[in-house]
Amino acid sequence: MSEALTQKNQTRIFKKSSGYLFIILIYLSGTLLLAHTSNYNQGLLLVAVVFSILALSLDLVAGVLGLYSLGHAGLFAISAYSVTILINNYHWNTFLVLPVAIIACALVGIVIGGLSLRVSGLYFAITTFLFTLIINVLLTKLSITGSYQGIPGPMFPNFGSGLAGLGTSLVWACSGALAIAVFVMWSIRRSSTYPVLLAVRDAEQFAASMGVKTSRTRVLYFALSAGLVGLAGWAFSFLGFINPGQFGGTASINILVMVIFGGMNTLIGPIVGATFISLFPVIVAWSPLWQEVIFGVIFVFVVVVVPEGFVGFISRIIRKLREGNSTEPEHAPTFNENSAVELLSISSKARRIEPIGDSPYALEVRDINFSYIPGVQVLQNVSLAAKKGSIHGLIGPNGSGKSTLVNLIAGELQLSEGNIFLNGHSVEKMHSYDRPKYGLMRTFQTSVMVKGVSTQANVGIGLYSRYKWLATRAVVWPIFPGNWKTSRAIGAQSINALSKVGLKGNWPDTKVADSPHGVEQLTQLAAACVGQPSVLLLDEPLAGLSKGETQVVSDILRLLSASGVTVIVVEHQTRFIFDVCDEVTVIAAGRMVATGKASDVRVNDQVREVYLGQ
Amino acid sequence: MSYAIVFYVTRVVNFATGQVMMSAIMVTTALSMKNLPISLSIIIGISTSIILSLIIYVIGVRPVQRLDRFSFAWLVSTIGIGIVIESIAAVIWGVGSEPFPQLLNGKTFAFLGGRLTAQQAMCFLVAIFIVAAYEVLRRKTLFGKLGMAISSDPEIASTIGGNVKGYAIFAFAISGLLVGIAGVLVGPTSFADAYLGGTFGISGFVALMIGGIESPVGAMFGGFILGILESFAVTYINSEAASWFPFVTVLLVLLLAPDGIFTSGKAFSKNFLKMLTNTKRAM
Repeated sequence: MSEALTQKNQTRIFKKSSGYLFIILIYLSGTLLLAHTSNYNQGLLLVAVVFSILALSLDLVAGVLGLYSLGHAGLFAISAYSVTILINNYHWNTFLVLPVAIIACALVGIVIGGLSLRVSGLYFAITTFLFTLIINVLLTKLSITGSYQGIPGPMFPNFGSGLAGLGTSLVWACSGALAIAVFVMWSIRRSSTYPVLLAVRDAEQFAASMGVKTSRTRVLYFALSAGLVGLAGWAFSFLGFINPGQFGGTASINILVMVIFGGMNTLIGPIVGATFISLFPVIVAWSPLWQEVIFGVIFVFVVVVVPEGFVGFISRIIRKLREGNSTEPEHAPTFNENSAVELLSISSKARRIEPIGDSPYALEVRDINFSYIPGVQVLQNVSLAAKKGSIHGLIGPNGSGKSTLVNLIAGELQLSEGNIFLNGHSVEKMHSYDRPKYGLMRTFQTSVMVKGVSTQANVGIGLYSRYKWLATRAVVWPIFPGNWKTSRAIGAQSINALSKVGLKGNWPDTKVADSPHGVEQLTQLAAACVGQPSVLLLDEPLAGLSKGETQVVSDILRLLSASGVTVIVVEHQTRFIFDVCDEVTVIAAGRMVATGKASDVRVNDQVREVYLGQ
Repeated sequence: MSYAIVFYVTRVVNFATGQVMMSAIMVTTALSMKNLPISLSIIIGISTSIILSLIIYVIGVRPVQRLDRFSFAWLVSTIGIGIVIESIAAVIWGVGSEPFPQLLNGKTFAFLGGRLTAQQAMCFLVAIFIVAAYEVLRRKTLFGKLGMAISSDPEIASTIGGNVKGYAIFAFAISGLLVGIAGVLVGPTSFADAYLGGTFGISGFVALMIGGIESPVGAMFGGFILGILESFAVTYINSEAASWFPFVTVLLVLLLAPDGIFTSGKAFSKNFLKMLTNTKRAM
C-alpha cells in the first residue's frame, strides 16, 4: 500500500516538474525568438517586461501587504539613474552595478517602509507620492542627471562570439530579470509565510497576538519590493534615453493601474496589466494628445469597471463554470460525541523564554490603573493572579473593563500604572507581538482572522513564531527541501489542531469568510493552542457557539489546564464560568469586586448584587 | 480649500481639481476672446467648472466608493479624469498660452511698503469672505451641522435622515464653484494654457496637506503659509527653491503631524512626546 502511495506521489511530482519544465522551455524559446526580432519590437516588448517587474514589485506591497505605495516611480528613477551614471561616468562593470542598484533601492525602501509605521492607508500613498515628486524635482535640477533632457543610457555588452547565436544580449538580460521577479513572487505565494503576510494586511491584531512582528515584516517586504524595483531600473537604463518625465507622479499611478488592471494579488495579473498598458497606446498609435486621453480613460475604466482586474474577472468566470458540476461542500462541524478530545501535544521544542522565580502564579497583574482619556479611570487598582495550571474566570457587567484588562495583559493597550508578570517576567512595557515569547497567547471577542484564506492557513499563522526565519525564507521557498518540510509540518499541525477543536471534514479548507462565527471562534482557539501557550487568554470564546460546541470548549479547557496551561477566560455565561473555572475574579465599573475560589465567589453577596442580579 | 470641502464631506481628494480650475480659466479666456462680455464669460467659465466637478463625482467617485479594501481608488480615477480634461483641453485649444482678460490686474496700490495689484487684494478678500461664509454655514445652520454629522459618520447620519449622496453632490458642486472663482481670481496673474492645472493642482494639494485635510479653513491657511514659505525660500535659498521647498515642507508636516498643522496641534504635541519616550526607551 505504501509502495503504491510512493509511486503515486512520484508520478505527481513528475507531472508537476514536467509542467514547470514546459513553462521554462516556452519562456526560454520566447526569449530566443524575441532576441532575434527587429529592434523596434524588442524595444516595445522590453519596456513591457520592465514594467512587468515593476508591477510585480508593487503588487508585493499593495496586493499582498495592503501598502499602496506611489513611491515606486521614485525608486525606479533612483535605480535607473544611478545605474546609468555609474556606468557612463564611472565606468563600472554592468553586472557589478546590479547588486549595488538593488541594495541601494532596498535601503531607500527600508526608509520608506518605515513610513508605513507612522502613516497608513491614504497617508502612506500620499507621502510616498510626495517622495516620487521630490525625486522628480531633484532629477530636473541636478546637472549630473541632465535636467529635463535626461541622459542617454549605457550600452549593454553584447554576447561573445561563442554565444552570438542567442541574438540580442539585452533581451536575455531583461527576460532573466523578469524571471527572477516572477520566481520571487511565486515562491512567496507558495510559502507558509503567505497567510502571515495577508494577516499583516487584514488582521494585524491577530497577527501580532500570534507573535508576528507586523511592523518589521512590512518594512522587510517593502525593502524586498524596492529591491525588485532596483532590478527593473537596472534593466530599464539600457533601453535608451532616460528623462525625468518617465518617473513622475503619473508613472507611479500608472504602475498601480497596471496592477489593478491585471488583478491585484495574483501572480500573472501584474504582468498582463503591465504588458497591456505599456503596449496599448503604442499599438493604437494616435496623436500624442489623444494617447494621453486614452491613458486617462484607462485609469478611470480600470478602477470603475474592472476593480477586480483581468485575472480576477477570468477566474470568476471559471469558478462559475465549475460550480455547475461540483458538489456542495459538507457544512456541518463534526464533533467528537464522547468528547474524548486529546490534548494538543505540548512539545519541548517550543522556542520560549524560560520562567524565572518560583512564584506559584503564571500570570500576575498588580495594581493596574488605566484610562483612555485623562480623568476617566477605566480600571482602578485591579489585581489578578492566576495559579499555574488553573482556569481563571473573569466576569463583570458590560462596560466593567474586562476587555480592557485583557487588552492590557496582551499588550494591545499600554497601561498607565501597575505591573504585569508572565511566568515571573515583567512584561508591561513589551509590544503585543513580543509577549507570545513568554508563553502568552490570546483569542479575540470579535472576528479578527484573515477572511480570504482557509481556517487551516489561519491556524498556521499561530505556528509562525515557532519556525525560524519564515519571512526571509519565503523568497526562495521552493528551492530548499527544508522549506517544504516546514510547509508540511505546519499544514499537518494545523489540521490536527482543528480536528482537536472539532473541525474536521471540509472545515480546514473552508475560507474563514465562509464560516459561521462559531467555527471562527473555534479556529481562533486552535490557532492560539498550536502556539503552545503556557498562559492562554480567551476573550468570550463562547460567543456564537452552540451547546455542543460549548461542551467541546469546556473539555478542551479542562485538558489544557490538566497539562499545566493556565487559562484566563472572559465570559458572560456564568454557568460555564462557575462550572469550569477554579478561580473567578469579578470586576465592576473598573474596580475589583471579588476574587477567589469559584465556589466562594458564587455566594459572595456583592457579586450577587452587581452581577448575578439577585 | 476646495479640496478640503470635498474631502470633508466625502472623504475623497479630487485630484482633478487643478484641471477643473484650468478649464474654468480656459473657457473664460476663450469666450472673452470671442468678444463676449467679460462678466458673461466668467459666469459660463465658473458654470463649466461646477458641471465638470459633478461629472467627476458621477463617473469617477461614486462608483468606486463601494470598493472596500482599495478604499482610495478615487485617487486613481480622479487623476485619470484630470488627465482626460487636460488632454482634451490641449486638443481643443492647442498647447500654446493665451492671455487671460486683465480685469483688475492693471490697477496697483501701495500696501505695507510693497505694491499690490487690485487683483491680488481681491483674491485675499474673497478668500477671507469664503472662509467666513463657510464657517457660518457649518456651525450656525442645521444644514451645516448635518454636514458635520455626515463627515464623521455617514451611516449614522443617514439613519437620522441625512441625505449623504445629496451632500456629496452638493460638496462637489460647491467645490466646482470655488475652483471656478479661484480660476477667475488667479487667471489674470498668469497665462491661460491647458497645462496650468497640474501646477495649481499640486500647489493646492500641498496647501491642503500643510493645513490639514480635515479642515477647509486649515487648508486655506495652509495655502497662505505655502505662499509665504515659497517666497521665503526664493529669497533666502535660491530662485530654484520654490520648486522643491513646498514638497519638503509638506513631507515634514506629514511625518510630524499627519493631520496637518491646524487640525492636530494637540495630536502633534502628543506624537512628539511619544516619539521622545520611544527614543528614550530604545536607548
